Amino acid sequence: MSDTRTEEAPPPSDGGPREPEAPKDRAGLLAYLIGHQSGVVIVVALVIALLIGAALIRYQGVNPWYAYEVLLRGALVNDGALTRTLQKTAPLVLTGLAVVLPLRVGLFNIGAQGQLQLGAIFGAWVAYVAGGAGFLGAVLGMLVGIVFGSVVGLLVGVLKAYRGVHEVISTIMLNYIVAGVTFWLVVGPLQGESSRTSGIPQTESIPEAARLDTVAGVPVGFAVAVVLAAVCWWVLGRTTFGFRFNTVGANKEAARYAGVPINRVVVLSMLAGAGLAGLAGALEALGTLHRFEPAIVGSLGFDGITIALLARANPLATIPAAFLVGILRTGAAGLQFQTGIAPEIVDLLLALILLMVSIPVLGKWLFRSRADKQSVATTSWGN
Amino acid sequence: MERLSTWASKNRTPLVIAAAVLVAAYAFNLVRGDIAPSMFGAAWGYAIPLVLAALVGVIGERSGVVNIGIEGQMLLAAFAGFFVAAVSGSMIVGVLAGIGTGLVAGGFLAVTAVRWRMDQIIAGVVLNIIATGLTSFYLVSGQSLPGVIPNVSVPLLSQIPLLGEVFFSGRSVIALIAILAAVLVHLALFHSRWGLRTRAVGEYPSAADTAGIKVERLRMVNVTLAGSLAGLAGVYLSMDASSTFEREMTAGRGFLALAIMIMGAWRPLRAFSMALFFGFVNATASQLQQTGGFSIPPQLTATLPYVATLVVLAVAAGRVRPPGAVGQPYVKKDQ
Amino acid sequence: MKSTRYLVAVPAALALALAGCGGSTGTSGAGGDTGSDTGSGDTAGYSTDDSNCADEEVFCIGLVTDTGNVDDKSFNQSAHEGAEAAATELEGVYKYIETQDAKDYAANMAQFTDNSYDAIVTVGFLMTEATVAAAEENPETKFIGVDQGYPEGTELTNLTGLIFPEDQAGYAAGFLAGLMTETDKLGQVLGQEIPPVQKFAKGFENGAKAANDAVSVQTVYHPAGDNAFNDPVWGAGEARKQLAQDVDVVFGAGGNTGNGALQEVAKADGAGESVYCIGVDTDQWDTVPQAQPCLITSAMKLITKGVTDTLMTAESGEFEGVQTVGEAGIAPYHDFEDTIPDDVKSQVEEIVAQLQDGSLETGVTL
Repeated sequence: MSDTRTEEAPPPSDGGPREPEAPKDRAGLLAYLIGHQSGVVIVVALVIALLIGAALIRYQGVNPWYAYEVLLRGALVNDGALTRTLQKTAPLVLTGLAVVLPLRVGLFNIGAQGQLQLGAIFGAWVAYVAGGAGFLGAVLGMLVGIVFGSVVGLLVGVLKAYRGVHEVISTIMLNYIVAGVTFWLVVGPLQGESSRTSGIPQTESIPEAARLDTVAGVPVGFAVAVVLAAVCWWVLGRTTFGFRFNTVGANKEAARYAGVPINRVVVLSMLAGAGLAGLAGALEALGTLHRFEPAIVGSLGFDGITIALLARANPLATIPAAFLVGILRTGAAGLQFQTGIAPEIVDLLLALILLMVSIPVLGKWLFRSRADKQSVATTSWGN
Repeated sequence: MERLSTWASKNRTPLVIAAAVLVAAYAFNLVRGDIAPSMFGAAWGYAIPLVLAALVGVIGERSGVVNIGIEGQMLLAAFAGFFVAAVSGSMIVGVLAGIGTGLVAGGFLAVTAVRWRMDQIIAGVVLNIIATGLTSFYLVSGQSLPGVIPNVSVPLLSQIPLLGEVFFSGRSVIALIAILAAVLVHLALFHSRWGLRTRAVGEYPSAADTAGIKVERLRMVNVTLAGSLAGLAGVYLSMDASSTFEREMTAGRGFLALAIMIMGAWRPLRAFSMALFFGFVNATASQLQQTGGFSIPPQLTATLPYVATLVVLAVAAGRVRPPGAVGQPYVKKDQ
Repeated sequence: MKSTRYLVAVPAALALALAGCGGSTGTSGAGGDTGSDTGSGDTAGYSTDDSNCADEEVFCIGLVTDTGNVDDKSFNQSAHEGAEAAATELEGVYKYIETQDAKDYAANMAQFTDNSYDAIVTVGFLMTEATVAAAEENPETKFIGVDQGYPEGTELTNLTGLIFPEDQAGYAAGFLAGLMTETDKLGQVLGQEIPPVQKFAKGFENGAKAANDAVSVQTVYHPAGDNAFNDPVWGAGEARKQLAQDVDVVFGAGGNTGNGALQEVAKADGAGESVYCIGVDTDQWDTVPQAQPCLITSAMKLITKGVTDTLMTAESGEFEGVQTVGEAGIAPYHDFEDTIPDDVKSQVEEIVAQLQDGSLETGVTL
């Protein structure tokens, strides 16, 4: 599954936060590794993480290979499993992108959680209200999801660009604020009529016609996510617009010198990323739960961070990365059913994967800092 | 005497605010003596782990290292403290294990973020996710603590009306340590050689380097040692404030501590006051809920600290300024 | 090539740390090739080998939680124990799945239906709709939904929702508290503001006022949505504050949040002599032993018994209806048998009897 990443030698115009040119005198293996470290290092990291995971499973008294086999079968082979995995992958691709886009500009969006939640509740509500319009209602729900996600992103971007508020702090704060507000909405003004008597915190169920279904086993949401990942890749890699993103991310001074409107780029990156997270929320509401419940978020937003780092900030690579996370999340229940291993093992595996893939970030640092003897932070706290 | 007056004139605004707050607190106590002390007590109880955690953030950022892994450090320490105490049958062993775990978690951040120059925020995120994964997977139920952390009353100080009652009477040892830690970190940061060096390293590392300070080493030491305070905060949560460990029981307190650090302008004593302020907001919210009256939905009052932080940051941008080199690994120019 | 060295060194160190960690905490699922040995492995009188569930002779029980764990010292755990008991009694098969994601309810139930399980217990009202849908799809399988009230017009013979008169348990506990209080102040530290909790709380308040009309009840719900049942520190803080405001009986109802309140009261001065606490859901004398110094009783809904009984019914015949009403009541007084005056006990007994025969209404409406 993950082997697909090896052939993902990033095109020159598309190398994550851009590497400075390697000096001419550095030849051979080192240069090769710099060029290919994304693919190679990530596969190595994944393998190591899964091996440690195997040791932990062994320690629980279960044969790890059997456990992994059960997990894979539960996520890919069993009846309808692949569809469910793709269904889980769809929002993950989008939250991955929600982290990737700002990351290209040098911003770290850890607020996908909140952006998704706000998009989900309003997307669900609008799709319910406009449910009579059938598919149009679904489209409207998705658009509203994007809009409300973006509103959160806009706030973060403006605070960052014009008031110097660090995006990590503002997104953390907004995660909590959104969680409080949406919970209040779902037990108050937006609570479904039928749920009011039973008191269940959920919105009204979205009418059948306005739901997103699967076409030939492929969830509509997944198709949407893949298309958007491709669009992001194309925009970032092939357009002037994307070039500006990368320039700001690589070197603000140079970007300013080249006349790039930095503030606008910063705001736009947050806006776009958060919009995608909002869309992910709306898709979840329209495609899986058919309404909003506070539990809709799960850990989708935080998984987005893992995915973005796993994908090395490459939009196309978020698809396999999200697929991997989707497999783990989908297979977990079957794993408990078959082997008795608590499903939290998946959280542990994801933590290990994140640790392993981000340690090569260090490798990158080392390579880079030796290359130009200068520290370049992907994210800088102070300014 | 003269030094005192220069000190007072230099710190006029905080002093005036502190005096005003004190007067208001005593006035409130006079009017509603039935609920005031308990509300202040609840505010302080709420603030204790936040003070400790905010100090972790302050030390880290003053040295130029962002620590958003405080939540994870606390969670790991709460876990280790509780289970080691339960298994070993000794509270003190548990507390030490918790603090030790905090140190190890601090060391993790130091090694990854400082030595390996991994992005500091990513390092913190990794720490949080690992902590959640480990503690929820390895949680076993049915354990209980062998004892309690003793409550103490400080002689003399506990006799002060209201203040003594809230801070110095019948509070646990950890609460006293939290007060002490805030004062000590303040003194150390602003009135010691270590503090001067730390601030130099966090503000302008290349100058500090030129002056002969080993930037990386100081950062590593600071971040690691600060972990012990996070450890203590975790221990407080699972062994003192409650007597149980539950999955994700830190409930966002590590992140709230970051907000408090910022609201406290990266200064220990102001962070201490901010933690108390948030504690009081919380106590007021629950008091309003409890006595009925006009009701703001509790879900919304719970977001107040976060809204306040955003507003302060937006309004006071430029005046509330983080240390200059925060977030950036330091690389010697001539390496 | 520095980085490759780290790549190897770090995982090794981590694995060591983890191994040590697991060792020190002892029993974490040790030897567990089954999912059902959490905490009570020695009582497992049932099998987890579900290979012949299709066989008429073998009764297979599955349980799915709604985003919670079966060791939650609360309703998931009660239902889990009930299912264990039934499986033991019937010499059947039992397994469970702890749901991680609200979107997996259907898939998790399908794990059981795909393996021809005979009965599936779904725990928690969040699974109401998913359970109805699954019951419609699998007419051969019996479904029991704990805490689930189905909409009017649900007509399925293979489905029953197990509901409890929480208000009655709360009422009886409140009545006891109203008689026990010296200060005429009672406190409630509650989890999320949802129907089962509200019914407990309002019942408690009405019961307390019926026993003692001078009493005032201070009620506080956890403000956050996501961790409202999992914040023992908050619960403890609120309990401490209530005690400082002269409350002398605290009702902690809200999973771990409520448990935090109980434990705090147990640590307070005069615990068990002048201040008391009352638990919820199960007899918390057993589930939260730390609360024993102050725990005079618990407002129980007998989930364990309800689940066991309903499963037995499922095995032998037909459910009594789309809803099954379980029992609620208060737990034994345990060590407080002597502390509680006899006339208080007899009055409470009378109230419980009246509640049970329906001659007394709790007056709780949501």
